[in-house]
Amino acid sequence: MRTPRVRRVTVAAAAVGLAAVVSTGCGSDSESGGGESEGGVTTLAFAASTFGDPGRGPQLQEWIDEFNASQDEIRVEAASVPYPTFGQTVLTQMGGGEGPDLVRFDMPEFEAASDAGLIAPLDDLIDVSQYELLEQPDQFMVHDGVRHGIIFEASNYAMFYNADLIPEPPTTYEEFFDTAQSLTSGDIFGLAFRQTEAEEAGVWQDIFNYVYGFGGAWSDGENLTINAPENLEGLQAYKDLYDANVIPRGADAATFRRMFAEGKVAMELNNGGYATHLRAESPELNFDAAPIPFPVRSQGSILAPIVINEASSAKEEAATFIRWALEPENQVKLQEILGASSVATATERSSESLQDMPYLTTFDDLTESSLPQVVLGFEAQTPDIRKIVVQNVIAALQGQVDLETALDNAQEQATDLVG
Amino acid sequence: MTVIEQTRAPRSEARRRRSPLGSRWTPYLFLAPAALFIALFQAVPLAQEIFLSFTHTSLLNPTSNTWVGLENYAHIFSDDEFHRTLTITLVYVVVCVVGSVGAGLGVALILNRSFRGRGIARALVTVPWAAPGIAVALIATWMLNPQYGIVNRFLNAVGLGVPGGAILDSSTYALPAILVTTTWQLFPLTSVVLLSALQAVPKDLTEAATMDGAGRWWTFQAVTWQVIKPTVGLLALLMTIWSLRRFELIWLMTKGGPVGSTETLVIDLYAQAFDSKQLGTAAAIGMVGVVISLIVIAGSRFVARAAEKENIR
Repeated sequence: MRTPRVRRVTVAAAAVGLAAVVSTGCGSDSESGGGESEGGVTTLAFAASTFGDPGRGPQLQEWIDEFNASQDEIRVEAASVPYPTFGQTVLTQMGGGEGPDLVRFDMPEFEAASDAGLIAPLDDLIDVSQYELLEQPDQFMVHDGVRHGIIFEASNYAMFYNADLIPEPPTTYEEFFDTAQSLTSGDIFGLAFRQTEAEEAGVWQDIFNYVYGFGGAWSDGENLTINAPENLEGLQAYKDLYDANVIPRGADAATFRRMFAEGKVAMELNNGGYATHLRAESPELNFDAAPIPFPVRSQGSILAPIVINEASSAKEEAATFIRWALEPENQVKLQEILGASSVATATERSSESLQDMPYLTTFDDLTESSLPQVVLGFEAQTPDIRKIVVQNVIAALQGQVDLETALDNAQEQATDLVG
Repeated sequence: MTVIEQTRAPRSEARRRRSPLGSRWTPYLFLAPAALFIALFQAVPLAQEIFLSFTHTSLLNPTSNTWVGLENYAHIFSDDEFHRTLTITLVYVVVCVVGSVGAGLGVALILNRSFRGRGIARALVTVPWAAPGIAVALIATWMLNPQYGIVNRFLNAVGLGVPGGAILDSSTYALPAILVTTTWQLFPLTSVVLLSALQAVPKDLTEAATMDGAGRWWTFQAVTWQVIKPTVGLLALLMTIWSLRRFELIWLMTKGGPVGSTETLVIDLYAQAFDSKQLGTAAAIGMVGVVISLIVIAGSRFVARAAEKENIR
């Protein structure tokens, strides 16, 4: 039998323990993957890295505000997550049954999330037959007959060049190389691309253009073809430019883009979204865009689907927002905001836009030959394959191994990975 | 007098027994909050980590585990890249400890002398330690920038420039650059701690040694070192543990690259967990780190006890 003294001590200890447990419980994050309803208004979180883009973020916010003003039952709130950590942050949240209701993903993360069942199927929520969706990018939104996303932005890669430094853009790889070499002098570089492991995703985007532009591919849909002769040729072209010192080595994308804006870099391969960014950040810069002058007209494309989190408790409300976004007038507005990017449906560009930004047609014409930067047939494993390929290519750039061996190593490691 | 004491003592004892502060449960009561905290925030996560290390678990579906026994451990120990990671971790820890304690001792010996402006020098030397690790990493990255960084300009000026200037993107120079940055950030702490230890060295002993004709080195070895040795040991232990788990500086400067040349255990753990989304493998790597830390602690205690026994003899 317990004495009163023991009982008092036990009660005190229990109180301390309970207080600790309660305070721990109080400290837990109440933000969950579900729309929060208050006063009849359901609030949805919409996460995208582009909300933080100084060129487009404020305009996207205005576009969302138009939706919020169009009705009084749903409120969409923009959640800006920086691009370098976007996939990791949002996927971690979604994996834990939390996260935003609506997400604008890039393709590798979209594939990983859909493969893990973290994205809500849209077939019962959105009747896509009502819309004229662009076929080429839209085909990647459907997995085994199940639609997981709607294109929010499709942005093709082209060659940006400083028109003051390059009056006539190169049309072949040889001209491209010669132009880069002839313009490199002192602290001015003919070209810039990503070549550091710290920017793994960016390096992957950049080398994608060299591989596909020389007729290669990472897979044939069933087997990996990382060490295919065409890939070697394309990546040798990338390495030759690196070895020729025509790029600011070690510079990250933020640095060399600033250099491009300052006229210290003459050419860059980038997607259409960059045009809007450049116009906003450097209105005085005289730049233009042309197709990438590689032997084969095939290049990467940033496909950014909008998806609904499977963990969201407000899927119908989230679908309402997507349906609103797909309405023709809202697609036109979104296209105006995104500049040289395309949207989910075919839209007419205004004559003012075309006059103001003559390069828009260059980007639009590339839609049919653009491919998302995933490994076809191994979409969900793209981030892991990307890591292997980028590490081996950088090892070749560093001179640790020749490029052919590097690609053979990557092929072997990636094949082991996918089984 | 004796009678009074004899009669008072039992009363006092009785009062002490009645009071909760005097009961045999009191120590447990005082320990309870700390024990609860450790159980909640250390023991439970550690137990979870141990469990995870024996499973296949994806970050995208962390509630679904498949028990795989020792497969994760077999996988990492058969992987050459993990062996490289262990080697890099060892190099990083040893150089950080030797560099920070060595530089800290040198600076402390200088600051222990009297010279004009010593107060300002003592204050200035703490600046790197006071700066947040993230700020240090970003400043170092900017200083090492191939285009605009001051380090390349200096190295080029003295004819020691790295080809292309990309120090952090060279698998040869990235690790040394990180080691220099880490040592620069750490040495102020060791110098301040060692300075306080040096000030505890009895002056009469050093004066006696000097009068006996001992030189500076001998005086340092026979007198100063004997006094500051326990402090150096403690600092070495702390620096080892902190270096084993240092993440932000390496991650921000190189993310473990290029080609894994700066990938330490914690960077590998993070990459496995959040890039490859393999929580089971990451947990196994984490457990290797835990075991290494325990070995270091046990080793340091063994050395300390051996030194104590030596002193007693």
